[in-house]
Amino acid sequence: MNQPAPIATLSGVTKIYGSGETQVNALEDADLSVYPGEILLIEGPSGSGKTTLISILGLLLRPTRGDVFVRGERVTALPQRALPPIRAGTFGFIFQGFNLFPALTAEENVAIAIKMKDPRARNANAEARRLLASVGLENRMHHKPGDLSGGQKQRVAIARALGGNPPMIIGDEPTAALDTKTALGVMALLRELATVQGRAVVVVTHDPRLAKFADRVARVEDGRVVAVEKIEHPQAA
Amino acid sequence: MLSVPIVWTLARKILLHDRIKFSVAAAGVSISVMLVLVQIGLFLGFMQNASNLIDHATADVWVTGEGSENFDFSAPIDDRSFYKVASTPGVAHAERMLLAFGQFRLADGGTQGVQVVGLEPGGRLLRPWHVVDGDPRRIHEPGGIVVDVSEAAKLKVDKVGERREIFGARAEVVALTKGIRSFTTSPFVWADLDSARAYALYPADRFNYVMVEAAPGVDREALARRLSELPGLDAYTGPTMSARARDYWSSRTGVGAGFFTTAALGVIVGLVVVGQILYNGTLEHLKEYGTLKAMGARNSAILRVIVYQALISAVVGMVLGGGLALASKAAMAGANLNVLLTQNLVITTAVLTAVMCCLASLLSVIKVLRLDPASVFKG
Repeated sequence: MNQPAPIATLSGVTKIYGSGETQVNALEDADLSVYPGEILLIEGPSGSGKTTLISILGLLLRPTRGDVFVRGERVTALPQRALPPIRAGTFGFIFQGFNLFPALTAEENVAIAIKMKDPRARNANAEARRLLASVGLENRMHHKPGDLSGGQKQRVAIARALGGNPPMIIGDEPTAALDTKTALGVMALLRELATVQGRAVVVVTHDPRLAKFADRVARVEDGRVVAVEKIEHPQAA
Repeated sequence: MLSVPIVWTLARKILLHDRIKFSVAAAGVSISVMLVLVQIGLFLGFMQNASNLIDHATADVWVTGEGSENFDFSAPIDDRSFYKVASTPGVAHAERMLLAFGQFRLADGGTQGVQVVGLEPGGRLLRPWHVVDGDPRRIHEPGGIVVDVSEAAKLKVDKVGERREIFGARAEVVALTKGIRSFTTSPFVWADLDSARAYALYPADRFNYVMVEAAPGVDREALARRLSELPGLDAYTGPTMSARARDYWSSRTGVGAGFFTTAALGVIVGLVVVGQILYNGTLEHLKEYGTLKAMGARNSAILRVIVYQALISAVVGMVLGGGLALASKAAMAGANLNVLLTQNLVITTAVLTAVMCCLASLLSVIKVLRLDPASVFKG
């Protein structure tokens, strides 16, 4: 079976902060590709370089050395100003702390993000409602984050990340602030995004229980991707 | 470009989410607007008073004693000067006028300083205006005077026919005006030129202004220059004389500096309060803004949200502050203070408020411009 083309690829990526005695090699010579339809977990201890890795993968940071390819295009060769539209069209982000506007309803949070990402988007509110329904929040569209549970907030954040239909979702410990049941529910949703919609999902986590949702697990230690382990998907087994 | 309704919605909802903080911001801008409007309005009101006799006269040129700097304290000139002015080529008509201080004897025996305005019989270049009672033409009857009803509290005179003395000379109120006030706060008392001399203890041939009507086609500036060449006299066109009267009080006495300093303080208060509220709001929502940037939103979209918040604060502050200024104007009118809220002042203050609020948002704008989208992954 042919492997589909990767959405994003890191090739020999190194990120160095500071210089001289204060120099820190946050990431060294990292190689990693992310494919459509898969969930890739990034594991590793605190300070190992996981956040630096996903920041570079999501075009939020420029590497010191090495190349980043997005859908085959070598984006490290592009000027900084060219990156926001590529980010908008390629990535959706979800966070441990949700990062939702507390003054806006769920629908408004998602619609604003859609409009911000693509000012030409029409019917942003209708699209926001569709996305919220797709994550099971059809009855919570007009609620503000303060009136939602942690799991519901994260679902709003996922719906927001899906705004603009990005092929890849990057999550930074998206389940860390959630109880076990809710966390597993969120991961099941992400699994569905990968399996049904063919999106690539990259999740940074410390939680070993999430491995069952993953297709691959990349282990990062001391700034190096030391192992990428393929996991048999439970449903495929 | 992000549509205005979307940015407006985001800006408005974020700003109004914390009602208490927004109330503080709105109060800060409102007080700032009120201070600016009331202080400048008071200043304009005083300045209007400083030149209102000149502005209501139809004289093309004003002639006064040489070296006179202040309209209210002008040097006396005599009849010979008047005849030289009247016979100068280009002068179609000339009238003498006296503006001097007198002591008005009150009904209770006390006295009140007044500014006596002496007009020539048959004069037409300056007359009392806004007459609300009586016949102002009767000031040319012996002892006839016109006073203003807004000065009733000072003069203790509120109706036609009342009789008083000014420096011992008999005076009878023949008419009442409304709203004619002097800059010096001494009430105006209009009288015939001869009576005025008696009221101000001036000699019979003395006065201190000649109001001139230029002959048709004569250049007023040129005529003023020609009249200034007469010995012992200075001459100015009406607009120049009006500006000199106002400038003396505003720039030579520190009155203007006082008013404008308070107005500037108002602007500073507004800047600080709005800047603080907007900056805190930006800090509170930095993660959300960072998330939007991470997702590909451009700086311009987020900056517009912040600038719109500043403009919302400006509009709310302008409306509330304008209302407070109107209330202050009404309250001060009772104390005989004229807060002149001109269209230009209101428009200028509105623009100033918008600029002030946008300036106050600068710190927030800088914060967002420097916001690293990768910061969303930090904590």
